Amino acid sequence: MDFNLMVEISPLLIKAAWITIDISVRSLFFGFFVACGLVFLQSFRFAPIRWFARGYISVIRGTPYFVQLLLVFYGGPSIGFRLDPITCGVFVGAFNIGAYMSEAIRGSIESVDSGQAEAARSLGFGRAQTLVSIVLPQAAALMIRSVGVLAIVVVKNSSLVSIISVVELTYQAQRLIGSTYKPLEIFTLTALIYIIIVYAVMGIIELAYRRAMRYTTL
Amino acid sequence: MEFDFTPVITYFPTLLQGLGVGLLVALVVAFMSIVGGLLVAVISVYVNKVVSWPLRFFIWLFMTTPLLLQLYFLYFGLGEWILIPAILVGILGLGFHYMAYNADIFIATIKAVSGGQYEASRSLGFGHIATIFYIIVPQALIRSIPQLGNNMILMVKDTSVLSAIGVAELVYASQYAISVTFRPFEFFIVIAVMYYVVNIFMELGQAWLERMTAYRR
Amino acid sequence: MSTENQTDTPDTPMVEIRDVYKRFGDLEVLKGINLTVNRGKIISIIGPSGSGKSTLLRSVNHLEVIEKGSIFLEGVQVNRPDLKGLAFERHINHIRQNMGMVFQHFNLFPHLSTIDNVTLAPRKLKGMEAKAAREWGMELLNRVGLAEKADVFPNWLSGGQKQRVAIARALAMKPKVMLFDEATSALDPELVEEVNLVMRSLAEEHMTMLIVTHEMGFARDVSDWAMFMDGGVVVEECAPQKLFSNPDQERTRNFLKKHLQG
Repeated sequence: MDFNLMVEISPLLIKAAWITIDISVRSLFFGFFVACGLVFLQSFRFAPIRWFARGYISVIRGTPYFVQLLLVFYGGPSIGFRLDPITCGVFVGAFNIGAYMSEAIRGSIESVDSGQAEAARSLGFGRAQTLVSIVLPQAAALMIRSVGVLAIVVVKNSSLVSIISVVELTYQAQRLIGSTYKPLEIFTLTALIYIIIVYAVMGIIELAYRRAMRYTTL
Repeated sequence: MEFDFTPVITYFPTLLQGLGVGLLVALVVAFMSIVGGLLVAVISVYVNKVVSWPLRFFIWLFMTTPLLLQLYFLYFGLGEWILIPAILVGILGLGFHYMAYNADIFIATIKAVSGGQYEASRSLGFGHIATIFYIIVPQALIRSIPQLGNNMILMVKDTSVLSAIGVAELVYASQYAISVTFRPFEFFIVIAVMYYVVNIFMELGQAWLERMTAYRR
Repeated sequence: MSTENQTDTPDTPMVEIRDVYKRFGDLEVLKGINLTVNRGKIISIIGPSGSGKSTLLRSVNHLEVIEKGSIFLEGVQVNRPDLKGLAFERHINHIRQNMGMVFQHFNLFPHLSTIDNVTLAPRKLKGMEAKAAREWGMELLNRVGLAEKADVFPNWLSGGQKQRVAIARALAMKPKVMLFDEATSALDPELVEEVNLVMRSLAEEHMTMLIVTHEMGFARDVSDWAMFMDGGVVVEECAPQKLFSNPDQERTRNFLKKHLQG
């Protein structure tokens, strides 16, 4: 292993890592709202709205993220929808992970025993209040775990934005491999950075969630 | 703004060929990642720490870093030593990636088979290895089907990423057609539909397989 | 060693347990156990939970490794401290093929049909042909009254049916001795009798049996010799008629007072 080279190239990789972090964090952030929206739509009594949400989730989950990205970036302009590469990465990333996240949220809510909601309703709680103060706190642990898993997916998905020439971590790594012919050193360093990002993002999610739960339970 | 799908029809055979290549790759990768994942899982559960620790490290490494990075590493790393076709690099890269995911599942399901099963088999006179082979592994496989199905559905979608290293699958096949027809929107929509159809069939297959094996769990 | 009631067969005893010790960490569970089981005899071992009776039975099958002493099956030593690795593996596999073990929680293989549960061992370990194995398996299932369940999977069976299949599975290798480890303890009361019936029929065929049980009535009826264990030692052993009605030891009496119901 050529450690001098690793020291030499690390500023380049760290700079690229910020793009990866930026895309991942923004995708997760907006994705969370997409997910909440989808969960909300699925609670409608009017069936076509529920069908729309189900259909959206099914199509997003049934097609590759990579194809979605290419469709929006290359196909978007022909219907007048033009985005710069990074924004496109965040946009597709958020709408993609939102579908997965809505399933994770719904799953964790459904895992709470229905007797809990019945008990709350029998005490006179409204539907929304039951959800916020009784069901969500109990679903929290499972929700954190499944959203944490999705955080890994988002960070890994962001690597595909390199294909639309965003100089994020994987793109930079590929360029460096091509110019230095030292794949092992560069892979090791890049992998290390990805691992740090993944664990940092998972940690932030857990912290944010714990903080949020403090308010919802009251 | 009007759509024109006639170029897609003209190039449809090319797309079908790309789909065929992608599915063929997926088939080989499915075989490799299931058999390999099972082997890795059995070794990491039953063989001593010196062997199992590095294996678990590689499972974790493959699961926390992006597929594309692994593909580049393999493509350029192997390229230093030997000249191998992109499709082989794609199969190996995707294969190792999902081998790690499958091994992760198998480790959990192998551990979930109760100790009583092991004892019952040993008390009949089966040896340690025969017990793993006849009793533990079949039960772990059956319990793994739902998650294994999910992984394989993800894997088929990930064959699209192989276009980045030049494997002539569906996305790659469309590149040339798009570059001469300037119809990216239409092509990518059709490609998405094709993936969606494949996905639906895989989900049906998964549900069928789960039903077929439910009574053996 | 108390062999006075078992001298009617002059040849080597089927199972011989000599001065066996076993500990789990700091806890000594077997403190010098001796027992001789002659051919065709049925021995019941009773005692409170934690008395070491199950550990003793499992030691005979080498599912527990004893620290001191020796166990013999027809004069062949089961525990062989001198054998290591693959040599011991081969030895113990051969020994176990001659013993049938029945577990409290059945441990049927859920991925195999009933008949395959029974015939797996003869097919894979004795190389029996599929057709012959099926005939043999059907004969055994017939004996436990479950021939019509041959192609059903274990999850569809009741607890009693599962245990009867488990007995058929243990019989499939034509064992010289059957070991029953609380075979009816996990069953609902109404399912106990069907398993006891199968065990009784084995007794009538003079199968050598070592039974760990909570069923005092059954033990008294079926066994030739009964043994009461407590705290890792044999407190008392004698003919079952005497043990269950007029035991010598105070500890035995106290235990029976709590557990004997008819």
